Amino acid sequence: MDSLYDNLFAPGTLRVLLMVVMFAPLGFAALVALTGERFRAARRLSGLFAALHLMLTIFLVAVAAMYSASHTHASNDTFCPIAVPGDSGEGTAIAGGSQEHRTSWNLFMVGKPDPKVPSVPPAVQFFVGLDGLNMWLILLASIMTYVAVSLSWHSAREKAGGYYAWVFVLQTAVTGAFASFDVILFYVFFELTLIPTFFLIGGWGVGGGKRDAARKFFLYTLFGSLFSLIGLIGIVYTNPTFSSGQLSGEVKDLQMPLRRGPVSFSINQLIFNTYNWRQVLDGRAALAQASAEQRAAEVEQKRQQNAADLSAFQKLADEALLQSKTAAAERDRHSAVQGWLFFALIAGFVVKTPLVPFHTWLPAAYAEAPTPVTMLLSAVLAKLGTLGLLRIVIPLCPDMAVQYGLPVFGTLGAIGIVYAAFCAFNQKDVKLMAAYSSVSHLGLLVLGMFALNSEGLTGATLHMVNHGLSAGATFALLAVLHDRYGTTDMTQLGGLWSRHTKFAFFLILISLAAVGLPGTNNFITEMLLIGGLFKPWAFGTVGYWLAIAAASGILLSAWYTFTMLRNVLFGNLKIPTALPDGAKTGDLTGRELWALLLPTLGCVVLGVYPQPVLDSMRHDVATIEKVVNAARMRVNPTLAELEKTQPPADEPDGVHH
Amino acid sequence: MIPLTLPNFTDHLKASIGYVLPEVTLVAAACLLFLLACVRGGRAVSFVIALLGVASAGTVAWFVPEGVVPRAGEAAANAFNPAFAPIDPTGAASFIRWMALVAAAVYVFLGWTDCKTAPPEYYACWLVVAAGLSLVGRSNDLVTLFLSLEMVSIPTYVLLYLPAVGKTGQESAMKYFMLSVLSSAVLLFGFSYLYGITGSTNLHAIIAALTRTGTTDGSQPLLAVVGGVMVLGGLGFRVAAVPFHFYAPDVYEAGPTGVVGQLAFVPKVAGFVALARLFGLLSAHTPQLGLPFGVENSLLPLSMWVIAVITMSFGNLLAIIQDNLKRLMAYSGIAHTGYMLIGVLVASATPGEGVARSGMDAVLFYLAAYGLMTVGVFAVISHVENPDRPVESVDDLAGLGRTHPWAAAAMAVFLFSLIGLPLTAGFVGKFNLFVAAFEVPTDTKMRNMYQILTVVAVVNAAISAVYYLRALGVMFLRAPLKPATPGRGLPQLAVAVVCALATVVFGCWPQPLLALTSKAAPVPTPAPIAYVTSTK
Repeated sequence: MDSLYDNLFAPGTLRVLLMVVMFAPLGFAALVALTGERFRAARRLSGLFAALHLMLTIFLVAVAAMYSASHTHASNDTFCPIAVPGDSGEGTAIAGGSQEHRTSWNLFMVGKPDPKVPSVPPAVQFFVGLDGLNMWLILLASIMTYVAVSLSWHSAREKAGGYYAWVFVLQTAVTGAFASFDVILFYVFFELTLIPTFFLIGGWGVGGGKRDAARKFFLYTLFGSLFSLIGLIGIVYTNPTFSSGQLSGEVKDLQMPLRRGPVSFSINQLIFNTYNWRQVLDGRAALAQASAEQRAAEVEQKRQQNAADLSAFQKLADEALLQSKTAAAERDRHSAVQGWLFFALIAGFVVKTPLVPFHTWLPAAYAEAPTPVTMLLSAVLAKLGTLGLLRIVIPLCPDMAVQYGLPVFGTLGAIGIVYAAFCAFNQKDVKLMAAYSSVSHLGLLVLGMFALNSEGLTGATLHMVNHGLSAGATFALLAVLHDRYGTTDMTQLGGLWSRHTKFAFFLILISLAAVGLPGTNNFITEMLLIGGLFKPWAFGTVGYWLAIAAASGILLSAWYTFTMLRNVLFGNLKIPTALPDGAKTGDLTGRELWALLLPTLGCVVLGVYPQPVLDSMRHDVATIEKVVNAARMRVNPTLAELEKTQPPADEPDGVHH
Repeated sequence: MIPLTLPNFTDHLKASIGYVLPEVTLVAAACLLFLLACVRGGRAVSFVIALLGVASAGTVAWFVPEGVVPRAGEAAANAFNPAFAPIDPTGAASFIRWMALVAAAVYVFLGWTDCKTAPPEYYACWLVVAAGLSLVGRSNDLVTLFLSLEMVSIPTYVLLYLPAVGKTGQESAMKYFMLSVLSSAVLLFGFSYLYGITGSTNLHAIIAALTRTGTTDGSQPLLAVVGGVMVLGGLGFRVAAVPFHFYAPDVYEAGPTGVVGQLAFVPKVAGFVALARLFGLLSAHTPQLGLPFGVENSLLPLSMWVIAVITMSFGNLLAIIQDNLKRLMAYSGIAHTGYMLIGVLVASATPGEGVARSGMDAVLFYLAAYGLMTVGVFAVISHVENPDRPVESVDDLAGLGRTHPWAAAAMAVFLFSLIGLPLTAGFVGKFNLFVAAFEVPTDTKMRNMYQILTVVAVVNAAISAVYYLRALGVMFLRAPLKPATPGRGLPQLAVAVVCALATVVFGCWPQPLLALTSKAAPVPTPAPIAYVTSTK
């Protein structure tokens, strides 16, 4: 028994399992595609596959969560991915062992390896793993794929094999992006999501403008993410590893020559590299300035003494001044470049999330896509944008995130919350209402995230999952509705309570979760996100106004959600006169019930007892926080002084609920 | 001392004949085919002979060693100095040769339907083109370089004319002929300036001389700039850079599909390689000399920057408004020339410390990737089109996903690769170019204009997605306009599938090709310039 336990939880098993979870859907896709036009066969097969995948993922994530919550990490300088294929470390996953949290699987080299820095190969690596930020998202993707497969009835009638196959391809792409710890690998999977989505919207969409919607979606996202690619390459190449000096942590020796070592695409290594460059360039500039000031003082002193060798001192002072100017120029150039790269980097993610005003692709794509695909778009794919912000943008450009995060992107998020809420209220189609509601909630997520404190970051990390569950469940219910009436238009529907009691129960429950009623998941994370805004460092007043906008968004969300409930569920029964061919009748079927039960249960469980999930996230959220805090000290030196004199009483280290 | 005039020119020529045996084999096979034409050879026979010719050239290239070539410095004392031979088998020569041989084999398949009118002549011309392309990669002399370039051009006139039916086909052949001759004349004019300034036709000697003048008084003689600009103009026609691109859409539109597939690729490779050799960017001997038209001593890189920006933007914006598929591909090819110019520009900057790529290696990789996807697109067109179902406008592809699933799948791979989506060779190509641009130190005269260029390229890549995606949407998301007709040539389908597979394989696992390109165009390590100090 003991050996079975060891084998089951050995890192090797988890590594294999992670690879299976990532790539099994590709195999499913190939098999399902073989069924061709046979709807029933395709549906059964893919339901089976999705359920199988879900079970594997639950096991994997459960073990990983146990590990993350129980294991005390030596340092929280970087993310701590476990189950990394190609990790040469040994030891069981539960006990921790000596995992190195890095991989040796190189995809292709971009330069020659540096013998001085053997641990950093200049290569794009196949670096995937599980950590607190992504493991729940991977589970979410698996759940939502299962739901999407179960609820694809009307939308998958034609060419069913192709439809389900693309759904599985999408799952691989999105799971791969979630699991990536190599920036280029992340980008590869991020872009790969476009291909299945393009075909799903364009080929199986429900509206007349489906082809245009598919193209618009593809082009918008591509346009943003290509800028992100430039940003990534720029960050990597302006922050290579130091060839001499320390690989990790603080670089103390400011006098050492700046030898550019191997570049690294690993997010963990890049966190070190960006930090080190910043420290070294800042430190050097400060050192040179101090030296120049000292020399100038010496000259002044000699001048007062009318010393004979004044000119020699003057010369030294001039040299020191020049050095100081050079060092300052070097520092300024580096930080200016990082500033541009930050805006390039963030472009792809704000489009993908989307943040108002980069959301204009969304209404068309969400409305025209088959409803289960809309569900995937909103519940899972949107998280690629927010995860990108958390995982890549904030840790790799912390200084810029501190300076421009809340004032620019937080403000855009706040505008988005209110604007999208009003748009949602104005929609006749429930699907579009849910689409705008999704924009509004994600605006809150981004706003809270850019408060960049423990509450905000924890809230954002968990809200990704929570929003995925509640928004996903909303669209799932709309898919159920669409299968029965061929429309989700509020003007054509009404009083459905009497016809579909179970459906009504779920719709009410999910609506309550969506508006963040206490006891549901969104309540906790929305409170965390707004709470974070009341404790923003150095941006006090801005924070309060933004918090008010965020809170009003929650109010508005209750307004339009309950209006929708009133229209659809209550009043006199109203259904479209002409029902589509092959429409379902009656209340939820068993398959639909199961599919809806999963996200609904998630909403309730995470609303009542989120602590295990929060525990598993703590380390990696603390990592981001540490990086951000260091940046904050650099950006605002008075804050650093303040910190020294009076250490804050409540050292933020995760949230104790 | 540099022997600026080479009295032992014939000795050098004789010594270097061993370096061109595979090309000789190709031309011999071509001669055999021309002779066969006199006795009315059939299509199958010509096909087999052409393929055998390519295969035997490949065998020769594989088994006959290039020989160990001493570097310029070591051999200076000897009578024979490989740096001054008209044929130079170092650097990218071998890479270009294999590219030419593979391309030749591919085009033999691709021309299956086009060659009906005169198969032996058609295939013979192919082989000469391939031999010419291979020779461009190893020409180290203005004369051999010009002859190799003409070996690419002249058979192309014949190829365009042979299967040409109707007025438009002949018109396009004439148009290409006229403009190509004009560009050759411009190129030759530029060559005459280079010869006039330096007194030598040898590229190594020319570069050495130009670098020397450039370094002694800090400025370049105006005549050298004139020569450089003429060269840029003449070769700009071959790579289809704006403003020398005007022939491309018309010729592509009316030319026979297989030949256009060649026209889109071979002259581009030849042009880029010739440009790189003339500017000293692609030879094992020249890096020690520095760059004649480098960033530090010439304004030519700046003008290339402008040409790159205009080329990619014009190409993409004009491609958007095209309805004709081949015109669209012509403008797409122009845009891709713009991307590749990034790599040439990077190569013209002195590399910084710890740099892993020279810029030209990124260009070579991109050329290979571009060849796979463009030739693949034309292979698909050639496979699908027939007199009953011509493929002229983009809309003619409607419903291809249903009628020709394999061809459509291959086409999808090519289009995604042209956009630059991951897991295709096109993505790795763009990634390499961008990385190369970010490796250039920003404290040169050009400051961070390379990085700005990548931003322009990225905007263009996004714009290009508009028209590639339209073709994709038409193929997969629309119903067929006409009932399905069986594909015409199986050889073209084979080409398409092989190209698609290679595109995906090099997209997922580019390491082998990357290793080859970085070996072909290594990062120069500029040694202290011995020539300059010794002649002072």
